[in-house]
Amino acid sequence: MKVFRKTALAASAATLLLLTAACGGGDDSGSTSGGGSAAPAASKLIVIITPSPDNVFFKAEQVAADAQAKKLGYETLVLSHDDDPTKQSQQFDTAISRKAAAIILDNAGADASEAAIQRAKDAKIPTFLVDREINKTGVAVAQIVSNNAQGAGLGGQEFAKLMGNKGEYAELTGKATDTNAGVRSQGYHGILDQFPDMKMVAQESANWDQAEALQKTQTILQAHPNIKGIIAGNDTMALGAYAAVQASKNKKIIVTGFDGSPDVVGSILKGGIKATVLQPASQISQMAVDQADAYLKAGGKTDQAEKQSIDCVLVNADNAKQVTDFAVSG
Amino acid sequence: MTDTEVRTPAPASAPPAKGNVALAKAALWLLRGRTLIVLVVLVVIFSAISSEYLTQSNLILMTKHVAINAILAIGVTFVILTGGIDLSVGSIAGLSSMIVGGLLFSGLDVGTGHIFFSVAVVIVIGIIVGALVGGLNGLLVTRFKVAPFIATLGILYVARGAAQLLSDGGTFPDLSGTPERGNEGFRFIGVDSLLGIPVAVWIMVLVAAAAIVVTTRTPFGRRIFAVGGNERAAVLSGIRVNRVKIAVYVISGACAALAGLLLTSELGAAYPDTATTYELNAIAAAVLGGTALAGGRGTIIGTVMGAFVIGFLSDGLVLVGVSTFWQSVVKGAVIIFAVVTEQAQQRLQSSLNKRTA
Repeated sequence: MKVFRKTALAASAATLLLLTAACGGGDDSGSTSGGGSAAPAASKLIVIITPSPDNVFFKAEQVAADAQAKKLGYETLVLSHDDDPTKQSQQFDTAISRKAAAIILDNAGADASEAAIQRAKDAKIPTFLVDREINKTGVAVAQIVSNNAQGAGLGGQEFAKLMGNKGEYAELTGKATDTNAGVRSQGYHGILDQFPDMKMVAQESANWDQAEALQKTQTILQAHPNIKGIIAGNDTMALGAYAAVQASKNKKIIVTGFDGSPDVVGSILKGGIKATVLQPASQISQMAVDQADAYLKAGGKTDQAEKQSIDCVLVNADNAKQVTDFAVSG
Repeated sequence: MTDTEVRTPAPASAPPAKGNVALAKAALWLLRGRTLIVLVVLVVIFSAISSEYLTQSNLILMTKHVAINAILAIGVTFVILTGGIDLSVGSIAGLSSMIVGGLLFSGLDVGTGHIFFSVAVVIVIGIIVGALVGGLNGLLVTRFKVAPFIATLGILYVARGAAQLLSDGGTFPDLSGTPERGNEGFRFIGVDSLLGIPVAVWIMVLVAAAAIVVTTRTPFGRRIFAVGGNERAAVLSGIRVNRVKIAVYVISGACAALAGLLLTSELGAAYPDTATTYELNAIAAAVLGGTALAGGRGTIIGTVMGAFVIGFLSDGLVLVGVSTFWQSVVKGAVIIFAVVTEQAQQRLQSSLNKRTA
């Protein structure tokens, strides 16, 4: 018994050690001032809140905003709300109690975010939205988003072309609470529904999730063996769908995504996934930080319109080589 | 399914019975087989709606989807049988997924460079990590007297956070390995097939068979039921209760890690949110299969059947195109139905025992 207990203790100590080592392992682009005490009144703190960085798109967004803010001489606090509006609301409370100078936010839900942004506004903290819009205007200082409708139009056109304008296809949509999921789906259908020979045989939400997209695609392919293509609302779902296609009998099924993430661009170069729509994530983040900086220096004024939309770019085998880190060069 | 129940006496051969006793017995048989009956009903309904449901390829696919939850649920069943609970299995699956993903994608950083291990070694490391985290659960529960619900809830967060820290929140996108690194072949356990059956399904069969033997044919198995049935009595009869408890959490952790690896292999990528909330599916499978949350009663076969019900239901709803929101509603309703019938079975059993005694 004693020997056993010792072994068990050693084992648990080893586990703890391992976990601690894991903590040290990551690079420190995360919360650089997270452990600090209350900020001084004239705060130089910019709080950056985004969805989970396990999607490279949000990671790029975070990193770009963080780097730009530091370059302009701000401290940063980088947080992730994991698409949970409650968690986001608590993070806003943190930003308010730390007297942040500004908040850069990729929000956790168009309607569910308004109250938190309003609370920050009441506390004289301006919020700059990136990537996802909210429905109300006049609460946030700026809403800089990629033009999802225009991008989805591009994606839909390319998908139709790849399909030869005919055949059965399936669509994987994003989280229903996220405006972009609906906007992209509508954008796709604005194009695809014009082709009478293209038939959508299944439409499922995979909640932006890779594993869920994999399993749902496998099941959809069972139900509809004649499917020629799968159009996904983002790149993580496209990757999941592509993994399912690779494991299926018909490996020629066309898969397209949306985001322009490095993994999908790599897949396009190898002839795997056929196309994606690149959103200029890094550029949008940098713009938001620059505008926040200008706003603070001007004493709370901005000369930019609140709603700003940045056009997306189609990425396929022709230009995939020129894509690095959510930007097309040349 | 009754061969491992220690508290329920075997039904005595009934005296010349009245009609309603016979009826009650028939009802009891139906209730005992309810998981199987629900499964058959599901298959019949879905095959009627979609001709694709009952095809060989779809059955194989659904079984493959079931495999991951079944392995998680088998591990959790060990813990529940002792009267504990393990909420951390989804996070442990995520953690081992990230460790394996990191070792395959970027190797082990040793300062001077990166060491890459073969796939077999990586898989063993992943499972050992799961077992160690499970052991930590066990120590918290036994040595530090933390209630299992709280201890494993804490580890749920710790393990998930550790998984995120490993990549700073990012995804390891490509786990196929390279010949130079000598780490190709991770896809074998999650993607490949043997004799037309996915390797993941074979692994589930092996795990289930081993678990059945352990719970029904070994002294350790009897001790698990004794600890869960009446802990005080188990202590007094000389069973080293703490040792049994730590062991079941280790088993649960190892099973969780294995399930995480299968999922990761199939996906070909490791991301820190892997298997989030899967612990709830695993517990649901165990409960559906007739495992009592109070401990001491339940079977591995029942749990596996429960996992089949959940998996065949979820996939069937996707196959026939039911909306995602209804999918959740239906799944919840089936779980509640199962527990209600479980209670009915208990009442019927005890009243029958009184009458035939």
